[in-house]
Amino acid sequence: MLRIWMLRLGIAACAVGALALAEGFTFTIGNPVASQDFQMKAAAFVFRTNGCAEPAKPQISGTAEGLVKQARRSVVLKVMAASKPGVYAVFQNWPAEGDWVVNLRGACESESAGAIVPIGPKGFIRESAKFFPRPATSEEIEASLKALAQSENKGGAK
Amino acid sequence: MFTRHVSRQLAAHMDGELTQPLARQVELHTAHCAHCRAEREQVRFGMEILDRLPPVEAPDAIWLSIEAAFREQRSRKMPVARRWRWAFSATAVLALLGAAYWTVVHRPGTRWDVVRIDGSPTVIRAGEWIETNSGSSATVKVGEIGSVEVAPNTRLRVVTARPGEHRLALARGEIRAKISAPPRLFFVDTVSGTAVDLGCEYTLNTDEAGFGLLQVTKGWVSFQWQGIESLVPAGASCRIRPKFGPGIPYFDDGSESMRQALENFGFEKGADGALNVILAEARVRDTLTLWHLLSRVEAEDRARVYDRMASLTPVPAGVSREEALKLDAETLKRWKEELAWTW
Repeated sequence: MLRIWMLRLGIAACAVGALALAEGFTFTIGNPVASQDFQMKAAAFVFRTNGCAEPAKPQISGTAEGLVKQARRSVVLKVMAASKPGVYAVFQNWPAEGDWVVNLRGACESESAGAIVPIGPKGFIRESAKFFPRPATSEEIEASLKALAQSENKGGAK
Repeated sequence: MFTRHVSRQLAAHMDGELTQPLARQVELHTAHCAHCRAEREQVRFGMEILDRLPPVEAPDAIWLSIEAAFREQRSRKMPVARRWRWAFSATAVLALLGAAYWTVVHRPGTRWDVVRIDGSPTVIRAGEWIETNSGSSATVKVGEIGSVEVAPNTRLRVVTARPGEHRLALARGEIRAKISAPPRLFFVDTVSGTAVDLGCEYTLNTDEAGFGLLQVTKGWVSFQWQGIESLVPAGASCRIRPKFGPGIPYFDDGSESMRQALENFGFEKGADGALNVILAEARVRDTLTLWHLLSRVEAEDRARVYDRMASLTPVPAGVSREEALKLDAETLKRWKEELAWTW
């Protein structure tokens, strides 16, 4: 009896371990210096894909979603691949005026990933960024944009 | 004491050909004689230029001319037509040599345009100084790779101006560099070391003694002095001091107490209290500071720094505690590249 319990416990532990080790397809964001690519130094931020067997292969796209004078705006992102495979840079091609979040989408084989990265007056706000194992929904984007606008108003930064 | 100028000894002195007492006399004299110092700069500039001139093969025509000249000397009988031909060949050779020299000196990127705040533009070349007073500033266009704004009360010299190396020497004052070139093409020498551009924008100030500050706004700067290197990314700063080189870099948005502790730690030995403050105050992005500390603390403190780093952010695959504590270069590089995602 004890042996069977030990066996079950072992199998369960292995399963938990395997789940923990299996890294899904995700994004990591960072300052331009993280790309180790001097051509990216003027980027708004850089990001890399994790958990894609072929880092050079994922499909990457995104938009900047903004609120300018109470009007919603959407701008297709300018994403540039860095010299390291799986590393990309987002260059600001949205207006300086208003509140903006960057909505990133990625797909690697059957997996997908999403991220919402708020942009503050001093650059991207790492602490408020949200990451998903799927593309972000429009509700999530609107919520992030609203939260950013409120925090900016509170801070009086804009 | 030497009372006469030492112009004749300068070249030999620079080549290390003088006897020790004579060399000492030349150094003493130039320390007090502005005339000889200026002359020394000119000699040095000339030597640098000579060093950098690429060997240019003499065109075949020059040998033909020389042989022809010998033949003519032997015969001592030269028809008028041949004399003209010889003169033409000599002229052509001179023109070719002149063109080669002009090409070397005027290669793209070897001339730097300077615009002073009063609007008077000028061109500056290697060996020349740019000096601003309390009421003036200047902008220097660094070849084709960027620009340097020169603040008031600054003294700056162009050491090298060629496509593969753009080097300034900042004697005192402040500059703001904006460089858009591949890494390691733009250098600024100071008394306390050299700022090496790794693709960046930064401000560097120093006094004549070498005390100063490097503040980076974009990209990376490597500040190096006698084997000590500080890597300073955008948003971070680094103190520089004579005989110590670069201090430990820190992010500008860090706590004041941490910055103060770094002041004490970076340049003074045995600052245990300072290390305690740094470790306690460090945030995730301050692993920049801790990563530099790993190789600057005494061996017995290294494990404390490592443990603090490991508690702030997961140690990546391929980085072992043992190798990190041994300061294995490849391990530290791999760790730095991973940590940079949090900087």
